[in-house]
Amino acid sequence: QRFRFCGDLDCPDWVLAEISVLAKISSVKLKLICAQVLRELLGEAIDVRSLAAIKLNPLLSAESGDVKATIAVLDFILSSAAKHNVDGESLSSELQQLGLPKEHATGLCRSYEEKQSSLQDSLRACSLRLSQLDSVSWRVDYTLSSSELQEVSEPLVHLMFNVRDRDRGTTEAVPMAVSAGKFRVLLAELKQAQALMKTLL
Amino acid sequence: KLNTGVDTVQHGVEGLMYLLTESSKLMISEIDFQDSIHVLGFSDELNKLLLQLYLDNRKEIRSILSELAPKLPSYHSLEWRLDVQLASRSLRQQIKPAVTIKLHLNQNEDQTAQVLQTDPSTLLHLIQQLEQALGEMKTNHCRRIARNMK
Repeated sequence: QRFRFCGDLDCPDWVLAEISVLAKISSVKLKLICAQVLRELLGEAIDVRSLAAIKLNPLLSAESGDVKATIAVLDFILSSAAKHNVDGESLSSELQQLGLPKEHATGLCRSYEEKQSSLQDSLRACSLRLSQLDSVSWRVDYTLSSSELQEVSEPLVHLMFNVRDRDRGTTEAVPMAVSAGKFRVLLAELKQAQALMKTLL
Repeated sequence: KLNTGVDTVQHGVEGLMYLLTESSKLMISEIDFQDSIHVLGFSDELNKLLLQLYLDNRKEIRSILSELAPKLPSYHSLEWRLDVQLASRSLRQQIKPAVTIKLHLNQNEDQTAQVLQTDPSTLLHLIQQLEQALGEMKTNHCRRIARNMK
């Protein structure tokens, strides 16, 4: 059977197995762990103390179970649902089909719905991107004279592109000097590209 | 404790190492091993000890030796994106889909990445070829070899 939150594919076996474990923990504990997983997915630091508190709380940790595995399956469910743009209700019904009790599913999906668009924004931001322009700085000089010609009297634009390498997190500076004529051509072409982009937005 | 010079002990250790690694590497039989060390003229008891040492540690030595073989870069993960080129400096009003793939590879704890770009039809061809390759594993020929290797 196909599930939307798995991208219209079968649900992976390990997810199926973990959902039956999820069904056994209390819905309160599930909601708390879910909140922490959402924080991690959104790039906020996990509150290690509150996770530890969940583990140690005698009321909540009466059930045995690997919290790490629970976190892994919640991570999958939430990010996969956001990836395939599944709404809270559909997710809830699909999870119930897989054996998650209604109370658990409802709580999980409510937390999911609150954060769905932030999740999708965060996933969009870390999508594959080859490079990223951090900033541009420029300077206009006027060349008075050179070793080749006594009177040059020409303007010269210095451009510095700061390009970010996403893998290594470093910024590379790409400098270039452009003559007035070439710079006019560059500017005209970029303006045309900008106009095209505007028609799409 | 052994009452001999450092050099002698070092030579002894190196000699033993060489004996064991070469024997394990070639996976020689008990008889061949015994014949080989017989030449050294040790006592029978020592020969038996060496043989036992060889047999006990052979498997582990072989697994360590197998890690020393040169490795090709191995697959780590894959990122992809689907873009559509609508216009370029030379041509407007285009519709040109392209898939950009970043292949993350591991080689001896070094992470490298290869960026590739392809159009959808080449991607389909690529998928077909890879599925064919997977399919080869199920042919009788491959199955026979896999069975014999176990």
